[in-house]
Amino acid sequence: MRALIVLVSVSLSMLLTACSNPRQEVTVQLANEVLLPAHQQWRDSNAALVDAVETYCAAPQASADDLETAFYQAQSRWSHLQPLMVGPLSEGNRSWQVQFWPDKRNMVVRQTESLLDEADPLTRAQLEKASVVVQGLTAFEYVLFDESVALADSRGRYCPLLTGIAGHQLALSESVLALWNEPGGMLAQLRDFPNERYATADEGLAAILRTQITGVDVLKKKLGTPMGRLNQGVVQPYQAEAWRSRQSIENLQASLQGAQAVWERVRSLVSDAALVKDIDQAYAAVANQLAALPAPLMVLVQEPAHRETLATLYAALDNLENRQQTELARNLNIQIGFNANDGD
Amino acid sequence: MLTRLSTGGLLLASLFLSACSDEPQSTDADVAPAYDDALGRQVVSHYGDVALATYSDALAGARELKTQIGTLLAAPTEANLAAARDAWRAARVPYMQTEVFRFGNAVVDEWEGQVNAWPLDEGLIDYVNEDYQAVMGNPGARANIIASESLKIGEQTLDLTDLNAELLASLNELGGSEVNVATGYHAIEFLLWGQDLNGTDAGAGQRPATDFATGPDATGGHNERRREYLSVVTDLLIDDLEVMVDEWRPGEENYRAELEADSVENGLRKMLFGMGSLSLGELAGERMKVALAAHSPEDEHDCFSDNTHASHFYNGKGIRNVYLGEYQRSNGETLTGPSLSDLVAANQPAADSQLKTDLNASEAALQVLVDSANNGTHFDQLIAPGNAQGADTVNAAIGALVVQTTSIEKAARVLNIQALNPDTANHSF
Repeated sequence: MRALIVLVSVSLSMLLTACSNPRQEVTVQLANEVLLPAHQQWRDSNAALVDAVETYCAAPQASADDLETAFYQAQSRWSHLQPLMVGPLSEGNRSWQVQFWPDKRNMVVRQTESLLDEADPLTRAQLEKASVVVQGLTAFEYVLFDESVALADSRGRYCPLLTGIAGHQLALSESVLALWNEPGGMLAQLRDFPNERYATADEGLAAILRTQITGVDVLKKKLGTPMGRLNQGVVQPYQAEAWRSRQSIENLQASLQGAQAVWERVRSLVSDAALVKDIDQAYAAVANQLAALPAPLMVLVQEPAHRETLATLYAALDNLENRQQTELARNLNIQIGFNANDGD
Repeated sequence: MLTRLSTGGLLLASLFLSACSDEPQSTDADVAPAYDDALGRQVVSHYGDVALATYSDALAGARELKTQIGTLLAAPTEANLAAARDAWRAARVPYMQTEVFRFGNAVVDEWEGQVNAWPLDEGLIDYVNEDYQAVMGNPGARANIIASESLKIGEQTLDLTDLNAELLASLNELGGSEVNVATGYHAIEFLLWGQDLNGTDAGAGQRPATDFATGPDATGGHNERRREYLSVVTDLLIDDLEVMVDEWRPGEENYRAELEADSVENGLRKMLFGMGSLSLGELAGERMKVALAAHSPEDEHDCFSDNTHASHFYNGKGIRNVYLGEYQRSNGETLTGPSLSDLVAANQPAADSQLKTDLNASEAALQVLVDSANNGTHFDQLIAPGNAQGADTVNAAIGALVVQTTSIEKAARVLNIQALNPDTANHSF
């Protein structure tokens, strides 16, 4: 299995009386009340990260606590946004600039350290030209949490990088927001149909749903990879997302909430009450199980006593994915197309 | 294997008629049968013929590779090493065209790991440079099978004294790590070329022929075992390809028979799923976009030999072969027959001609990678940090594959194939 697109498209059979259809209303609501706010909050968390870096790097005695908190928040807003990033953020290399995961070969260490060796001190321009591996949260996390980095004693080396990454993230999020808000931008494209992106509200809704469905698939991957599901059951703690900051589970929760926010709006369109109940329960099951996990994911995967708990959680996520990907798609008359997981 | 948080740019929007348009619209239920069932059956059967021919050529290529390796081992000269490398490159031409059969046909996908697994932590197999970077937590990353008579993994000690095919195959995914690849094309590639230590600069692996010598000029160490390894692993590749050729022979109790006994719709679905999966997720995504965005030559497909451009090109060719029902064999003959293209054209000529146009465009874009390599700039240089022109070249190929995937989806819709993934398509509710 591999990465991630679920291509979904609404079939032609949406009928003709549909010009003031509920789907259009839901699409507009999703755009205004879920998607745009999630992008805005992501932007705000990056602004706070910029401030936190500035404070930390300006005061030689400052503890890293506030900086860590700001980092957790930025990572959390980004996790929340992932099932919602229809449009600009999913295009070009933008999302890869936020985070590079999985980083199986630990490229972040090599690329970060060699960039800092070559550029002393690092300039923003050098960072902008570097690989996505060093521009985003993965590199920030490495500097802040990796045991090999003595940040407090090497601010001269690492502060320019932290400043650069936070600035890059803020600029990136502001440019994405601008693409949402500009005349004829993403927000308008999810409101005024037809437009150059979507001929109908249904296409817009389908794009939102396929992004959300992909987001749930990614959750399975983020859980399953460290569990060893791709490795004959041999656990891979270092393949967990955010293993250095021990935030894997918190990130999963934030993403789940993002996905659920879409479902909450789409629910009214579903004609099958039993299916609605099933999907509601599927979300609740995953959320409850995540909330009950007693330790960081990289710790849990290494403890045989927790194998079954994690396997049950994985099955619950799988159930949620299937309900949405197959039954919900069918109920809404949405066609499932290629999924980039379809590679290996 | 790898997962990105987003394939960025690879998300596609499909075009549909507006539900509010003045044009009368049809629903799926109103549409006449999307294709003639008897013709559809012939298309699936001919797909089997194309697979058989392509795997047969891959097998012949592997046998020729074995011959050249025999010559190399008999006389380990630079000339004989070069000839063996040429034979490896030639063997890849048909093999890469088989990869389109992999996705959708479980019998291929389950078999493939032993044949073409990638990327690999090559330190499992042989000596590596000091600053070699393996996957975190891989216990076999520096096992160096060639230099070791035994290997301790966890509590288990493996006896490596006898380098037979069974042992090598058992070492794949050692310790659960998918980058522990002991067999297949890329293990052979590593043995013939060695590590490419040039990063994103010019140059491929530089293993000297004397790594296979046994006299006073021998280099590398443990040369008898390296010779044995190369010989055994190439024989295993031949055996594996023989198995797959047998799966596609007509009139036998094999996978081909299963495929042809199944519904036409399922057969067409597998064909389209293989095309789309290779086009988008695998070739555009894993094999190009990951390497480009991370400027990571470790994520290059044929990283030891710098033959990646050719692998990509012939992957693309395979997609085209399946759609057009065409395959140009290694001997120059062209196989043709009833095709997906025929079915789509009979129903909606515009969709067929669009996909053909897109296939031509992606082939042209992949050709640019090949031309670049032939002019001395290989894929690992194109992805170097700061090489804007190189990035444009790779991105153009990615973009063409993305566009082509949209048209493959469109073709599937024309044939009334809704869910494309054969694993979930028959999910009942």
